[in-house]
Amino acid sequence: MRVIASYSMKGGVGKTATSVNLAYWAAKSGSKTLLIDLDPQGASSYYFRVRPSTKKWAKRFFKAYENLVTHIKASDFENLDVIPAHLSFRNFDSLLAGFKKRKNRLRRVLKGFDKEYDLVILDCPPSISHLSESIFIASDVLLVPVIPTTLSERTFEQLMIFFKENDYPQNKIVPFFSMVQNQKSLHKETMRAMSARYKIFLKTTIPYSSDIEKMGIHKAPVDVFAKSKQANHAYRQLWEEVSKIE
Amino acid sequence: MPDFGGSFGKVIVKAKLQKLIGLRAILPVATLRLLETDFSLRDSDQKIVVKGHLTQSMGGDQPTCYCTLRALRGYSKFHTRAAQILEPLIKAKIKDFGLKCLLEAQDLEVFKSKQGNSVLLLTVAMQAEPAVRSIALAMLDQAERHVRGVIADTDTEFLHQFRVNVRKLRSLISLLKKALPTTLIDTLKPKLSLIAGKTNKLRDLDVLILAHESYRTMLPANFESGLNKLYGLIEKQRKQEKNKVARYLSSKDYKATIASCAAEFSLNSVFETAMASKSIARVVKKLILKRYHKMLAMCQGISCQSPDQNIHALRIEFKKLRYLIEFFVDLLPKKRIVKIVGEIKKIQTILGDYNDYGVQIGILNGYVDDALVDMSNSLSGLIAILHQKKIEKRSKVESAIADFFTENMTNEFNLVFGIRKTKGLG
Repeated sequence: MRVIASYSMKGGVGKTATSVNLAYWAAKSGSKTLLIDLDPQGASSYYFRVRPSTKKWAKRFFKAYENLVTHIKASDFENLDVIPAHLSFRNFDSLLAGFKKRKNRLRRVLKGFDKEYDLVILDCPPSISHLSESIFIASDVLLVPVIPTTLSERTFEQLMIFFKENDYPQNKIVPFFSMVQNQKSLHKETMRAMSARYKIFLKTTIPYSSDIEKMGIHKAPVDVFAKSKQANHAYRQLWEEVSKIE
Repeated sequence: MPDFGGSFGKVIVKAKLQKLIGLRAILPVATLRLLETDFSLRDSDQKIVVKGHLTQSMGGDQPTCYCTLRALRGYSKFHTRAAQILEPLIKAKIKDFGLKCLLEAQDLEVFKSKQGNSVLLLTVAMQAEPAVRSIALAMLDQAERHVRGVIADTDTEFLHQFRVNVRKLRSLISLLKKALPTTLIDTLKPKLSLIAGKTNKLRDLDVLILAHESYRTMLPANFESGLNKLYGLIEKQRKQEKNKVARYLSSKDYKATIASCAAEFSLNSVFETAMASKSIARVVKKLILKRYHKMLAMCQGISCQSPDQNIHALRIEFKKLRYLIEFFVDLLPKKRIVKIVGEIKKIQTILGDYNDYGVQIGILNGYVDDALVDMSNSLSGLIAILHQKKIEKRSKVESAIADFFTENMTNEFNLVFGIRKTKGLG
């Protein structure tokens, strides 16, 4: 089982759209996939029309995998299940602070899914926190959407430094350019410079597209309502590239 | 629909099918017209909460509709509710719905024929003559089921099974002749012998064709052209012989013969002989035991010097013994019989292989022709190899006989087939 986290400490960079569309394509290509929505805003659960249970259960999230299993819900698509977010997830950090060996908690709890799923996708909240550190340890790939702007470049640098300073394996970090507007010279220039500096960027870029924004209206992955659009091809290509990462 | 498992494109399917069907061809047994639709039930968020599948089977007078509901993880209460709503509309619930269930609903002949023999209910108290008559009729019916396949030349197994059933029928009336009226035996024996005889040559040719690949691997490459010539000839002969057999099996003569056999067996029992009215179980047990002891005596005379005819005679006795047990298996103690039959099968395989070498050598010898040098060279090569294999097998024959006829086996036969005085037998 592989664990892929869609992560950025910056908000509004396309983490949820990435999680949702990647999970969709992974499932469609035959991988038994579980999407875990860790962001208390619950956007990826919303895109799959999956509602969380009414009970607060953040407290039990890190206790044991058996607690998570009861919250799994089937999506509308074959091979794809979702653990929806709950507003109580906003307390994850203070919860984790109370645990010993907190950094390994998520990894341990996800191990339980090994038999049932080929792939777990984590849609992460935008922060750098105890939860983020658990995610860094639990995931095999940290997929980082980067908007090619100065501010995003700075955020990405901070992440690389954080990994280096805390001895996390930097090779887990897999960035790609998101919300790209090719007509903007700033975007083009930033992409050129960052690709030259960090040789780890994926080839696929996700364009800025109103079709991706429309996921909220359709409450579905792009392929469902904009099959032939560029954004859809880009997500498909992104999955193909990510699935080949060793 | 492709004919043989071997003609399927996909390698895995091909291998799996080949293992399952062996020499048999795949034949269409039924046509089903199905209309299939997936559907889903959604909640107020437009989220799918139950998935379902509708299958409409168009066979028969009226279409039948099958509905399958699938519960989705985390939404089981919706599934329960949907099932409750549908409940009043449902005629019956089906476990393991699938193609098999759809076919079974069509009342197909193919499922009936599987039951074949078990329809025939033999009881311990049944009298010998009616019991033999009903088994004979069943055998005749079994043989007849293969005729269409022989005529159409669907696969070689149709002829083989046709012959097996005719042979079994002949064995049956010969083994239990004392339970039937003499006139019946006198009328039917030559008729059945004629039917069997008409197919001998075609079966020999089939055996040669089935052995082609193994013969090819036995010979060095420079013998291949001779072998190809031989097989060109065999294929030609087979075609002619197959047409001959097909003509015969389609003829009025054959049909009349079969009809007269069936009519004879269907007549009411006349109880002309003493054995006719005895309990079939008692008669058969006695007969099996008698034959076993006859075989025991026969095998005493077999040594490494004994001629092939003696081995052949013993092989035939084993065949008859097994037929006899298998015809009346329902009347015999199952567990012990399975064990005995297992041992009989083992020795039959060894005796059969030994005999096959002799038969093949005999047939191949018939093809030797001085005018066709390279073909005759290949034949000589094959005959030499088969002869060698036969010699190697001979020692196995002796040890198989020694392994079978043990004191334990004799005790077992005496125990299982020895008649105990019990009420109701007799």
